[in-house]
Amino acid sequence: MSLRLQYARPRDLDQTIGLLDGLSAGAMVIAGGQELMPHLNYGRISPSVFVDIGNLKELQGISATDEGISIGALTVHRDLQTNALINESLPLLAYAAAQIGGGRQVHNRGTIGGNIVAVHPLYDIIPALLVLEAQIEIVSAAGSRVSNLGDLLTDTSHQLGTHALLTRIVVPHPPQPHGWAYEKLKISDGCYASANAAAMVTLRPDGKLGAVRLTIGAVTEQTIDLTPALSDLVAEDPDADLNDTIAEVCKASIPEPLSDQQGHGEYRRAMASVVARRAVAAAVESARG
Amino acid sequence: MATDIQELLEDSVLVQCRVNGAHVEEEIHPATSLLDFLREQLRLTGTHMGCMTGHCGACTVMIDGQITKSCITLAASVQRKKITTVEGLRNEDDSLHPVQQAFCEESGFQCGYCSPGMLLSTLELLRENPNPSDAEIRKALSGNLCRCTGYQSIVRAVRVASKLYSVDKDSVS
Ligand SMILES: Cc1cc2nc3c(=O)[nH]c(=O)nc-3n(C[C@H](O)[C@H](O)[C@H](O)COP(=O)(O)OP(=O)(O)OC[C@H]3O[C@@H](n4cnc5c(N)ncnc54)[C@H](O)[C@@H]3O)c2cc1C
Repeated sequence: MSLRLQYARPRDLDQTIGLLDGLSAGAMVIAGGQELMPHLNYGRISPSVFVDIGNLKELQGISATDEGISIGALTVHRDLQTNALINESLPLLAYAAAQIGGGRQVHNRGTIGGNIVAVHPLYDIIPALLVLEAQIEIVSAAGSRVSNLGDLLTDTSHQLGTHALLTRIVVPHPPQPHGWAYEKLKISDGCYASANAAAMVTLRPDGKLGAVRLTIGAVTEQTIDLTPALSDLVAEDPDADLNDTIAEVCKASIPEPLSDQQGHGEYRRAMASVVARRAVAAAVESARG
Repeated sequence: MATDIQELLEDSVLVQCRVNGAHVEEEIHPATSLLDFLREQLRLTGTHMGCMTGHCGACTVMIDGQITKSCITLAASVQRKKITTVEGLRNEDDSLHPVQQAFCEESGFQCGYCSPGMLLSTLELLRENPNPSDAEIRKALSGNLCRCTGYQSIVRAVRVASKLYSVDKDSVS
C-alpha cells in the first residue's frame, strides 16, 4: 500500500479536468476499481493520487441522439445488459456485456469506460464496439474531441494519456435490419476468452450478403478487425461455403497468437477461425430473423 | 477559474455510510479496500478475504442492494451508500435469515469460507427472481467459488431458499 496515496473526489467534469491537468503523471482516475484494485492489492501500481470519478453525472446515462446511442463512460456492465435502449438498438453490446466473467459482482461495478481504457486483449467490450464502429468522446483541458475507437487503439494502449477522460461512447445507429452474433470460447462460465468473435451482417434484398463486419479478440495482443479483409464476401450467397475464405483471412491476420492460461498459441490460432465462422453463420441466421 | 488542486487532495478520507442499518463515520487511508475497512476498522469479520483479485467472491457484500466484491472496491467510494454484510442477514430475534436456514438444511457449505458471499449473492438473486431455474442459480453464483461442495448442495440450498424467502418479509437493510 502506497503511503503517499492521496484521494480526490471532484464534484463535476470541469473540476475533474482542471484537477487532472494540474496533477503529475502518477495520478490515476478510478471508476469502478475492478481493474485498478487488484493491481493495487498486489502492489503492481503505486498511484500518487486516486481521482474518483464514480459520481460524475456527465459520464452517466444512456440516450438516443441523432449521431447514435450515447453511453456514459460510467455505465456498468449490468446496465448494458438490462437497459431497454441498448437491448433494442445494440443487442450485440448487451449480449457481449453479459459474457463478461467475474460474476454479477463485477457486472454491478465494472464500467464500460474502464473496460475500454484497460485495453485488455481478453476482454469482451472492445471487439463488440469495434464491429459497431463506436466513437469515443474524450475531454481534456485542451477541449473535447470525438475519435473512432479503432483509431484510438493503434497499439496496445489507448493514447488517452493521464490528463484526459473518456466521457461517452457513441455508437452510430446500426443499419436496420441487421444480424449480429458474439461468440466467446472459454474454459468455464466465469472465464476470460480463449478466442472471441463479434459479427454484424446485413443481407441485400436478393438475399446475398451486404455488409459483413467481423472482429476477433483474445487471440492476439490487440483486437483484430477483419472487416476490410472480408470485403470479398459482399454479394456472396450466405449459404455458400464461406468457411475457407474466413479461415484463410483469420490465419493470415494472426502472425503471433497469445499463449497463456487461456490456451496455447496454436490452439488459439485454430480457435480464432472456429469462432469467426460460427459468428458469421449465426449473424446471417439472425439477419434472416 | 483555475482549479485549486491542493484543496481537493485528501491524505485521509472521512467515510460516512450505513453498514447493516447503522450509521458509520470513519477516517480511512485512501488506499483502503472496502474489505479491509469492514474487517479491520469495523471488525465485521464475517466478510472473508480470499484472492484479492476479484475472482473468488468470498468478500462479497452489498452496496445499495447490489452485490460487490469488497476486496476490489475502494472504501472511499462508498460515501453515503448502504452496505450489507453477512452480519446484517441475522433476524432481529437472532434466528437465521431464510437464506441461511436453507443453506443449513441443504448443507450448502462445508468449510464455510465461501458462505458469506454465497448467501449475499443468493439474496440478490431471489430479490430479482423469486423462482430461479437451476441454470439461473448457477449463473447468479458464477462469481463465487467453492472448493468443497462441488456446488450441487449449494444449488439445492438456493432452490430451498427460494421457497423460504419472500421479498415482502425481507428485513435486511
Ligand atoms: C474477476 C474479474 C473477471 C473479469 N472478467 C472479464 C471478462 O471476462 N471480460 C471483460 O471484458 N472484462 C472482464 N473483467 C474486467 C472488467 O470488466 C473491467 O475491470 C472493468 O470494466 C473496468 O471498469 P472499472 O470502472 O472498474 O475500471 P477501473 O479499475 O476504475 O479503471 C480501469 C482503468 O481505466 C481508467 N479509467 C476508468 N474510467 C475512465 C474514464 N472514464 N476515462 C479515462 N480513464 C478511465 C483507469 O484509470 C484505469 O486505468 C473482469 C474483472 C474481474 C475483476
